Amino acid sequence: MNIFVKFDFNAVCEQILREKLEQLGVPYSIVGFGEVSFSKKLSDEKRNEFEVALAAYGIEIVEDQKSILVQKIKDAIIEMISADEGEINVKSSVYLADKLEHSYGYLSNLFSEVTYTSIENFIIIQKIEYAKRLIIKSDMTLTEIAFKLSYSSVAHLSTQFKNTTGITPSAFQRIIEKRRALSDLNN
Amino acid sequence: MNTDYIHIILADDDEDDRLFFTDAFDELKINTKVQTYNDGVELMDYLNAPDSVLPQVLFLDLNMPRKSGMECLEEIKADTRFKDIAIAIYSTSASEEDIENTFVQGANIYIKKPSDFKKLKKALSQVVTINWQYHTNGLNKDNFLLRL
Amino acid sequence: MPLKSLYNSNVFLKSVFAICLFLILFITGVSYKQIQDLSFSSSQVVQTYKVNVELEQIISYLKDAETGQRGFIITNDSVYLEPYLASREKINNSLATLKELTKQSDKQQENLKNLNVSIEERLENFAATYASYVKRDMDTPEFKGLFLAGKTTMDSIRSQVSNMIVLEGQKLENRRDTYKDDVRFTPIFLFVLVLLTLVLLVISYAKIQSDVKKLKRANAKLEVFKESTNKSEIIAKHGNWIWHIEDDYFEYSDNMFRLLGEEPQSFESTIENFMQFVHPDDLEKLSAQVEQMMVDEDLPFINYRIIRKSGEMRYFKARGQKVSGTDFKKKLIGTTHDITDEVENLLKLEERNFELERNNEELSAFNHVASHDLQEPLRKIQTFLSRLEDKEKNNLSDSGKQYVERIVSAATRMRLLIDDLLQFSRTNKSDQIFEASNLNHLLEEAKLDISEKIEAKKAIINAEVLPEGCVIPFQIQQLFTNILGNALKYAKEDVAPIIDVSYAKIKAKDDTRLDSQKADYYHRVVFKDNGIGFEQEYAEKIFELFNRLHNRESYSGTGIGLAICKKIVENHKGYIFASGMPNEGAVFSIFFPIDEK
Repeated sequence: MNIFVKFDFNAVCEQILREKLEQLGVPYSIVGFGEVSFSKKLSDEKRNEFEVALAAYGIEIVEDQKSILVQKIKDAIIEMISADEGEINVKSSVYLADKLEHSYGYLSNLFSEVTYTSIENFIIIQKIEYAKRLIIKSDMTLTEIAFKLSYSSVAHLSTQFKNTTGITPSAFQRIIEKRRALSDLNN
Repeated sequence: MNTDYIHIILADDDEDDRLFFTDAFDELKINTKVQTYNDGVELMDYLNAPDSVLPQVLFLDLNMPRKSGMECLEEIKADTRFKDIAIAIYSTSASEEDIENTFVQGANIYIKKPSDFKKLKKALSQVVTINWQYHTNGLNKDNFLLRL
Repeated sequence: MPLKSLYNSNVFLKSVFAICLFLILFITGVSYKQIQDLSFSSSQVVQTYKVNVELEQIISYLKDAETGQRGFIITNDSVYLEPYLASREKINNSLATLKELTKQSDKQQENLKNLNVSIEERLENFAATYASYVKRDMDTPEFKGLFLAGKTTMDSIRSQVSNMIVLEGQKLENRRDTYKDDVRFTPIFLFVLVLLTLVLLVISYAKIQSDVKKLKRANAKLEVFKESTNKSEIIAKHGNWIWHIEDDYFEYSDNMFRLLGEEPQSFESTIENFMQFVHPDDLEKLSAQVEQMMVDEDLPFINYRIIRKSGEMRYFKARGQKVSGTDFKKKLIGTTHDITDEVENLLKLEERNFELERNNEELSAFNHVASHDLQEPLRKIQTFLSRLEDKEKNNLSDSGKQYVERIVSAATRMRLLIDDLLQFSRTNKSDQIFEASNLNHLLEEAKLDISEKIEAKKAIINAEVLPEGCVIPFQIQQLFTNILGNALKYAKEDVAPIIDVSYAKIKAKDDTRLDSQKADYYHRVVFKDNGIGFEQEYAEKIFELFNRLHNRESYSGTGIGLAICKKIVENHKGYIFASGMPNEGAVFSIFFPIDEK
């Protein structure tokens, strides 16, 4: 007697992935198909254990030099942005090329290829995100924030903020404040 | 990118707008899966089903019969199961106050429906890209506000 | 002035009368005293004469006795002895009378006693003489001695009597002197007093006369006033009433009856009779308020309705105030006003206002719905057009392509119009919230709104520090955006736009265009540009809806932008003025009243 089965490979693979992740005992979430996100960085030991466990099912951790380098670029950019003013006096392109020992052109192409955005764009997004955090958390004025993030003027920061997010810094601040007032009201 | 596709849902009662929307994603070179619903009730029925696959980005038209976009937004924000979904309001123009109010109520994105197909494509690709940034770079989603 | 006021005061008359009364009493007293004195004096004179007469009488009796004795001696007829025998008793009587008359004078009493002794002596002498004569011998020394002694005694009596008479005369003289002194000044004094009294009475009379005149004049005025009050009550539809609370009765003015549609004083003015006119729905409320009137000193107006006997309904407004009259009885005085005409006008006005408001709302709703709902199909037309251009352009003939282009441009224009109309309708919404806002921030936001255009035109915007104000923030931002946008749109082609934004706080009185009733001070924000400007004669026209100074080909626009600005400024109870010079630039001055509460 023959019976026919139909595999949903995706479901099978996801089931295996979940089992192995549970065994690992580390907080995780499955972000999309084939991507796992850990809330903490995995130790090399755990990583090896996980790699071996998955290898039995023919599942590999995809990792190549390119994505490692991209991650390094991102880390360098975030470090560069959150540095105190005056610490980094060179252009971001020079800084990245020096730090990662590759030509900026190479880094730029690689970054776009992997992330679908440019380094410049990424820097802007990171800067604006940093500005958002400062607007919300600190009692710094927009002028001080603009200076800290090496903008030539408040207007420059405001313009870039608006071009990136579609709203102005003060509207952003207002919305966050109202959201908090609303959640205070609900609690 | 490691994912096969980005999961997107649109709730809009206008047939033409649903068509533009799906066409735009078809033409974009991003791997997406787009689901559409005709109104708020249909959408919430799907989301509230226990086995539903939740989208990464949810587009809500404001003016819908039976259940409006604002009502959906409130229900979604009240349920922690949906906390990772980025909510995009997809509507015809509203006043500045109304737009700000959608953000205050928890929307992440406000897109005024463009009157040009190219602009629509651009806007949608921007949404997906920035959402991806937030997703992959561990940015604080509470600060995710985008107006196009 | 105090004297005059004293003269006018009521106290004056009273005191004058008191003085007069006192004076008259005084004069009466003095006169009585005088008359008393006079009668006393005359009685004294009479007494003196009586004393004199009695003394003379005694002398005469003694003489009679002497004469009788002598007659007897000569004739030896006992008939002559009779006076002698009778004299003894008569003398005693006289002496008793004298004693009584002179009892007030010690000296005369003393004299009288001495006289009595002398008389006694004389009488004894008579008896002795008689006894010795009985022997009928006159030449005896005994007789002679006795006879002489009789004469001596008689002489002494005579002198004593004359002394007493003199003394009595002196007394009379003394008394007359003092009496004269008294009497000399009394008439003058009395005359002066009477004169004074008369003068005072005359003054009082004059005063009373003038008072009466004044009273009459005042009365006449009051009469006129009353008449005019009556007339004005009729014209003004007012009625007056007094409620004597303790005695519980009303006094109505004539017009009060007329207000109720009745003849003046045609029914008894009691509260029960009045309440019969009151609209049944208002009875309870009015009764409660009347009760309250008795408790509270000062009451607000009471509104109620009455129904006249003719069936006509009137609206009344009344107010009462509790007063204590001169009789210390509690009274409520009040006025009642027939406000039927006002109420009816108000109702009419309200109705018209309501209609107007509804019309306005409908119009505004229509505007909103029209512009809002028109967006949808237009957007689809435009989107399909863009699809057509993208995908099917190559399949169209040249004229087909041209048609599509025309459709696109028409649709774009329509989009512009609808967007602006929608914006305009939104500024009409009445539920906008005013909040304290920093105008500098709003200007910055406005600059961000049009940052692309500013960059494209390389415009320079110089702004002074603006104040904070209580405004509708979104609208003010829109206002700034529109004015800045306007300045950029109408910039000269070859010159980079420069926009100066200046601020001043100014007094309403310093600018005749401002209403100083609304506020004493205004914020003035001025936008000055170096654009193409305009002819001053269009300064007001440019704020009108759909009004454009330029044709569409050279400057795109809908003629709504500045109308929105005007609307926004009016929402803030402010003013916007424009002035222009062709090829020099335009100046827009915006004024917001400063609410100083």
